[in-house]
Amino acid sequence: MKPLTLVVRMLWRDTRSGELTILVLALLIAVTSSTAITLFSNRMERTMTEQTAEFLAADLVITSHAPVPDTWLEKAGQFGLAQSQTAEFSSVLIEHDEMLLAGVKAASTHYPLRGYLKTTTSDYSAEAIEHQGPESGKAWVEKRVLTALKLNLGDVVTVGEKKLTVTKIMTYEPDKQGDIYSFSPRLMMNKQDLQETGIVQPGSHVHYFYQFSGEPSQLSEFKSWVKPQLNLAQRIMDIHEDRPELGSALNRAERYLGLSSILVIIISGVAIAMATRRYTERHLDATAILRCLGSKQSDVLWLFVSQFVILGLVVSALGCLLGWFGQEMLFRLLKDLLPQTVAKPSLLAVFLGLISGMIVLLGFALPPLLRLKDVSPSRVLRRDLEPLPTSAWLVYGLSAGLVTVLIWRYTQDLTMTATIFCFGLIALLFLGFLVYLLLMLARRFLPAMGLNWRFGLQGLLKNSRATISQILAFTITLVAMALSFTVRNDLIENWHKQLPDHAANHFALNIFAEQLPKLQKDFTEQGIEGSQFYPVVRGRLTEINGVPVQKVVSKDSQGESATHRELSLTSTENLPEENKITAGTWWSPGQKNGVSVEQKLAESLRINLGDNLLFVVGGQPLTATVNSIRALHWETMKPNFYMIFSPGTLESYPKTFLTSFYLPDNKKTALNKLVKNYPAMTILEVGLLLKQFKTIITQLTEAINYLLYFALMAGFTVLFAAIYSTLDNRLYESAILRTLGANRSLLRRTHIIEFTLIGLISGVLAVILSETLLFALYAKAIQIDYRPTWYLWAALPIIGAFAVGSAGYWGVRRVAKTPPLTVLRNL
Amino acid sequence: MQSQYSGTIILTENLGKSVKTSSGTLHILLEIDLQIYVGESIAIVGESGSGKSTLISLLAGLDTPTTGSIMLAGKSLTKMDEDGRAAIRNQYIGFVFQSFQLLQGLTALENVMLPLELRNDKNARNAATALLERVGLSERLTHTPKQLSGGEQQRVALARAFVTKPAILFADEPTGNLDSKTGATIVDLLFELNTENRTTLILVTHDQSLAMRCQRTIKLSAGKFA
Repeated sequence: MKPLTLVVRMLWRDTRSGELTILVLALLIAVTSSTAITLFSNRMERTMTEQTAEFLAADLVITSHAPVPDTWLEKAGQFGLAQSQTAEFSSVLIEHDEMLLAGVKAASTHYPLRGYLKTTTSDYSAEAIEHQGPESGKAWVEKRVLTALKLNLGDVVTVGEKKLTVTKIMTYEPDKQGDIYSFSPRLMMNKQDLQETGIVQPGSHVHYFYQFSGEPSQLSEFKSWVKPQLNLAQRIMDIHEDRPELGSALNRAERYLGLSSILVIIISGVAIAMATRRYTERHLDATAILRCLGSKQSDVLWLFVSQFVILGLVVSALGCLLGWFGQEMLFRLLKDLLPQTVAKPSLLAVFLGLISGMIVLLGFALPPLLRLKDVSPSRVLRRDLEPLPTSAWLVYGLSAGLVTVLIWRYTQDLTMTATIFCFGLIALLFLGFLVYLLLMLARRFLPAMGLNWRFGLQGLLKNSRATISQILAFTITLVAMALSFTVRNDLIENWHKQLPDHAANHFALNIFAEQLPKLQKDFTEQGIEGSQFYPVVRGRLTEINGVPVQKVVSKDSQGESATHRELSLTSTENLPEENKITAGTWWSPGQKNGVSVEQKLAESLRINLGDNLLFVVGGQPLTATVNSIRALHWETMKPNFYMIFSPGTLESYPKTFLTSFYLPDNKKTALNKLVKNYPAMTILEVGLLLKQFKTIITQLTEAINYLLYFALMAGFTVLFAAIYSTLDNRLYESAILRTLGANRSLLRRTHIIEFTLIGLISGVLAVILSETLLFALYAKAIQIDYRPTWYLWAALPIIGAFAVGSAGYWGVRRVAKTPPLTVLRNL
Repeated sequence: MQSQYSGTIILTENLGKSVKTSSGTLHILLEIDLQIYVGESIAIVGESGSGKSTLISLLAGLDTPTTGSIMLAGKSLTKMDEDGRAAIRNQYIGFVFQSFQLLQGLTALENVMLPLELRNDKNARNAATALLERVGLSERLTHTPKQLSGGEQQRVALARAFVTKPAILFADEPTGNLDSKTGATIVDLLFELNTENRTTLILVTHDQSLAMRCQRTIKLSAGKFA
């Protein structure tokens, strides 16, 4: 083994002479962008999770109809979790002869653990952020409470037997959600005063919420400890399980971020492989000399591999540093959009950047580098002695293995990884064969072509293996770029479509049938756009095909929670917008006792088409047969139902109606009129929730934009690196042609034809591959609807032809400018 | 074959090299029996394609013969694997090539230091500097091959070949890429260094005047001694 100092010295000499520039650049971009993306998405994800945790006001919440054993809270304390508790119940408040059914929340001192409350003291004063609820003896209320009860700040309100002074108007409460159909105007008080209200008696209807926050590992330990002890009426909530609309936005964004970082790594990997190939070719002579001077094969291998390892470590470390600065810059740019406190960068992510840099370098660079080991020392006498190319399975096997590991890390799904791998392999082989056929076809027409085209095409045909691999490399790059771009666009468009500007921001519930015609008229007069009015009947699902549901359902599943409360049942003639039938059919005219079940609930309760469901509605049984299964978007702020019955099925049961509508800020006065005219109707403002949701979407959109720039930058670098790696041979041949009298314009045209064709073919192949991949990706990974992106069909071949053509021309232009002898000497 | 020097450094018996082609076996070298003594200078001459380069690469252990054996410094090259031959090259052999074969990214000094560095010799820099001074390039130490003329590049190559004080120096057309005046200077330098170091010199050349300066000339024709 040669000493490390010699390795370092040789590395330094190569760096100084510019042999490593392209390689260093490709690796630097791979590590910088993957570290930046990993760090950025990691921080973004943690920030988002923390922020979305605000919707629960904690990281984890246990809900219960009765106080939980003290041992649970002690255990949480032992796990180092912060805790708070709230109790919620409905109570009728009576002041100044006015009556109001209010939703009372009694909060302990540390509530909320995540997020904050907002209060104000008048219509005109600014909102203040509060990190604690009211003190003992005080109450904060929503404006609606003051108006309805004719109260002012400083007045006293009586909750049960306890008198409380109203000190603030509450404008925002992070975890106000619960059962969206039973919202009532809020009154918040301190939990210490709860006992004195006299409301909480054995058997009274109180919901207890136990909030916890802390490190993810402690939370998950606590969760697994407490889960087996929950009774049927108790539930655990965390952000991913309990806010499906946010959860799915987050999941998709996380998946997209993961996808982007893999794409950047793959295209940088291709650049590294190409740059190493060039490096190898330029080191064949030097290696022969080393062998001549007595270096063994193992010495040569050690010399080069250890140079690459050192190079990898140094460049990866630099890349990590740059990546760190890069994401720091991104966060600075996005400062106005992001929450005030952003999660800190994780050191583990930096370390992962370093490791992935090394893996990418060795995975993609080792196969071409191994060729050097086989350089014959006789090459010093006969330059034409080239070592055999490293066996194909090793070259492609290593990089394919690496890509597979990356995909597996991203999908966490072995079957899917295997599918993608096999598909990718078949696709590449197929495309390679297609290019081969195309080249063979071109060869036939060669004699009939003009000089420019003949020379240009001959450039491609001369070494068809190299041409095929170049075209495939460009195809992969273009596919990666196209995927990154299209997925981002579709993702954003999909989100915006779900939340259009005039998305409903109010729900109106508890509308009686006799009020319906008048209310509809009022809506029209005031220009309020609303969804249809749905009848709502409250009922509980009790049996599936004669078997009690509790026996069917697993604990903690969505289905489990649905069986423990009354569901809002509705009936409608037409399939609501945004709902999609995934199995069965919608009603045939006149059909009775049919029910359509939401897909996820159906899966959770193992409900199939044709099953008989028994509901209990106000003590009366209601049976229905499952007619269809529906998928729906929970993200839409429209009334969504788990169970929809065929028209007329719910006719004989007591019902109210429900609708959602959009009311712009300048029409808020209309709300007061509605409240006055329909006192029994409950109006629920979801504007705030919507605003929060939109903010998150905007942040994600911005983040994704920046990631796209990273991916594109890496993509273009690989294009140039790839072109430079093919230059030496072309420069040599062009110089020879010039000595034979070829003029510059002939060379220029030949090069343009050659490179443009490579780009064009790569572009066409990239369209085919990316559309196929998009189809698979949308169906399996991101779950949004696939539509062919027609503009890509035109854009990719043009971009490919133009980018590769101009980069190639730019790279070889010096051959047309410099005297041929100078070119030959410098090669 | 008598010589004033005692001791054989290279001995070949029935040495042959053939390759299989689509039209049958092609014999590049046939039945070469050769004895070379320590300190001797030998010119191998012959037309292009006569097998000169193949012979030199077999003698230097750069390639393996199809038949016969080679003893170098009393060791059988033919029984060694590639690593064993590499060790022999490292210990006994120096090379000078027609196309100089300097490493382009390295300076003149670094090119000369390289063989010593591969031997982990701590004195590499001093020894290389001294030898470059000896060949008249003391002002050119930090120049890269591209910044040197052909004659200067061949001097660097000579310095690199002699820096390890090899027992045998193989030179493949050392003046082939140089004009006659520069070539003559290089040849003078080659023989001076050869004498100073008591090296065995085996060179391949087309140049009759260069061959005349060697103690012995071997002529090859169609892979055999002519």
